[in-house]
Amino acid sequence: MKTINYVLTGLGGQGILFMTKVLATAALDKGYNILGAETHGMAQRGGSVVSHLRIGDARSSLIRAGAADFLLSMDESEAYRYLPYLKKGGKLFANAPSNQFPDERTAAYLEGQNIKTWAMEAAKTAMAMGSSKSTNLAMVAFYAAFDVGPLSAADLRMTVDKMSPGPFNRTNLKIFDACYETGKQMAMGN
Amino acid sequence: MKEEFLLGNGAIALGILEAGCQIMTSYPGTPSSEILPEVVRFSKAANLNTSIEWSVNEKVAFDNAFAAAISGKRAACCMKMVGLNVAADSFMSAAYIGNIGGLVIISCDDPGPHSSQTEQDSRLMARLGKVPVLDPGSPEEAREMIKVAFDLSEEFQVPVMVRPAIRVCHARQNITYGALESNLTKADFKREPSRWASTPKFRLIQHKALNEKHERISERFNTLTPFNMHTLEKGTSYPFGVVTGGVPSCVVQDMFEEYDRKDIPVLKLGAPYPFPERLADEFMDACDKVLVIEETDTLIEYMLRDKHKTLGRLTHHVPMEGELVPEKIEGVLNKALSDCGLPPLSDHDCGTEAFTLVGGLDLPIRKPTLCPGCPHRASFYSIRKALPKAIYPSDIGCYTLGSNLGVVDTVLDMGAGITMASGFWNAYIQDDVKKPIVATIGDSTFFHSGTTGLINAVYNDSRFILVILDNHVTAMTGMQPSITQGDRVDGRKGNAISLETIVKGCGINYLKVVDPYDTKTMIQTVKDAADHVNDPDGGIAVIISRHPCVIAFKDQAIPEQIKVRVSDECNDCGFCHTRFECPALIQDKENGKTEINELLCAECGVCIQICPQHAIEKA
Repeated sequence: MKTINYVLTGLGGQGILFMTKVLATAALDKGYNILGAETHGMAQRGGSVVSHLRIGDARSSLIRAGAADFLLSMDESEAYRYLPYLKKGGKLFANAPSNQFPDERTAAYLEGQNIKTWAMEAAKTAMAMGSSKSTNLAMVAFYAAFDVGPLSAADLRMTVDKMSPGPFNRTNLKIFDACYETGKQMAMGN
Repeated sequence: MKEEFLLGNGAIALGILEAGCQIMTSYPGTPSSEILPEVVRFSKAANLNTSIEWSVNEKVAFDNAFAAAISGKRAACCMKMVGLNVAADSFMSAAYIGNIGGLVIISCDDPGPHSSQTEQDSRLMARLGKVPVLDPGSPEEAREMIKVAFDLSEEFQVPVMVRPAIRVCHARQNITYGALESNLTKADFKREPSRWASTPKFRLIQHKALNEKHERISERFNTLTPFNMHTLEKGTSYPFGVVTGGVPSCVVQDMFEEYDRKDIPVLKLGAPYPFPERLADEFMDACDKVLVIEETDTLIEYMLRDKHKTLGRLTHHVPMEGELVPEKIEGVLNKALSDCGLPPLSDHDCGTEAFTLVGGLDLPIRKPTLCPGCPHRASFYSIRKALPKAIYPSDIGCYTLGSNLGVVDTVLDMGAGITMASGFWNAYIQDDVKKPIVATIGDSTFFHSGTTGLINAVYNDSRFILVILDNHVTAMTGMQPSITQGDRVDGRKGNAISLETIVKGCGINYLKVVDPYDTKTMIQTVKDAADHVNDPDGGIAVIISRHPCVIAFKDQAIPEQIKVRVSDECNDCGFCHTRFECPALIQDKENGKTEINELLCAECGVCIQICPQHAIEKA
């Protein structure tokens, strides 16, 4: 299989590591090899955090600028910051108001690179549904709705179910389903 | 068999136990910090009897492991690369003397640097200490190399270094592993003073024996596949080849596969020192030009010893500083191939256009900051308020971020907050100037390297205020337990060491303990301390600023949650978010006042005390 490259970004404290683990676990359960790279150390709360995840038989954990298939960002600014990692024809999913994203200053570049972008206010949705800490899962669900890449929505939902401990399980799945639905509507609109 | 999506440091831990390591020591430091806790986790799960400790510093860790190894046990110590500087005295001597049981030193490098003072290359330390070194490129390879390192160390009776870079330590990979078994080798130290306590005359003999070992290890490294290998076709000559090792070797191999460049042979040196001469000669003889891509310095490039064929850092093809991220390596390869008249890998601009575009978007600068509620922030505020014109030497830990508050003037290395404070005093007092100096150091760093400097300063009558920031934990590197609490890494209780006793034992007569959350008292305490320093009969004043870390001990740190709000008195002076620099206080540009980010706010209430307009109040 060709290696599929995910760049996941957000702010410290938003649960990038857990988001990476959800995608990784889903991939592992499908029998794929996985390789990831994380930020540790000085990255404090509120700092910019990035995680690379490669599904397939790569040797190097880092994704080259211009080589990522997907960029999932839990923060609007961080989505722009890591834009250079997306390859030509790559896809960007951001936690941002869909009518204001992407910034017009990046439009020409995105068009030139044939990069498609989709945005939803995942953090607001997660908070309204009772768990502001579940923005990471909301973004996974939103991404899942577009059915791109080696992991299906059913795979990802099952993984979220498996990885959400007792008291959070119902809320997390509720958030997953709602954000999946929002994504589905957008995907069908395209 | 079990499969885990394991951190590189977890894979290293697994390798350590699979090799039958019995004694494991370390001092935390990014990117090495997770190795020891992972050894604890695997050891406990398999019910092994591994002896595992956080040592007080890296030299202590090294010496402990060394003693175990010369008693016949397998021992390992791990540290970040600057930690090896602290252990250098022992490290340089160890290869001469050698060992009985396998001794493996894991020195984790931080090219970038992401979380370190330098980008030093541990392989060069290995060369200086005449210690064989292995350089893994991935978690799985690191795990395998650790086992080979133990075998080599035992066979040749020499310590062996494994040098994982940050992209190995903090990579994650799916790793399959089976049952772990105890190594039941008993300690059996055999007296042999001419070896273990050898005098200079014997050191010369040991040095000669070590050099002979190196000849044999170099021979072994010629055939140490798959760590050392090349992809030459027999009898073929090539216009261009790549010599690489460690993390960059994985990037290069991935890229050649992706771009289908079977025309470029690769010499991979995962075991670069002692240098595998014969293997390298084969490669050099078959190629007209070779490009060396290694991290972080120039070990292989010098060892190749052919100026006319070799491209690399010395020919400015490879950057001399910074991490060799994949897009950089792509650019390096494209340039070198073009220079040699060959087609490049790609016409990619290595992200230049996109990075330039993003650079122009005015994205928020997210520099690391102290956490909301961090007691260090309160300490720094009070220090500056009490003595705004002092010199502030500081040290290594979370509190290095006190630089954001303007209360950290210098950071050199572990313990230099104290030694530089005495140095500043001496430099000024020579000119008859009594310069106010306030040094800061954390509790863990004080135990690591602070006491020697303090004893020296007392002995030589230097004068300054030392504030020990005691938050009960080694926070920056991931909340390792502090000596002051007496908690050990495997959950057992050790003996807590009292900071007060140690400080007094260093000859300090003036010692105050304050809670930094009470800024009024702390400001007065710093002022009083300054009087003691200036008193002819006074001396060094030590203040222990004691408050638990808000992340490690949330309930203890904030016993009474104080919700705050901003009143109409706020005139948007910006002191609280720019100078006090609490991330939970943000400027609301529309309303021209400060706003509280309730998601971030730790509800410590300290901001009520610091607002110059008294506009922050209990909600």
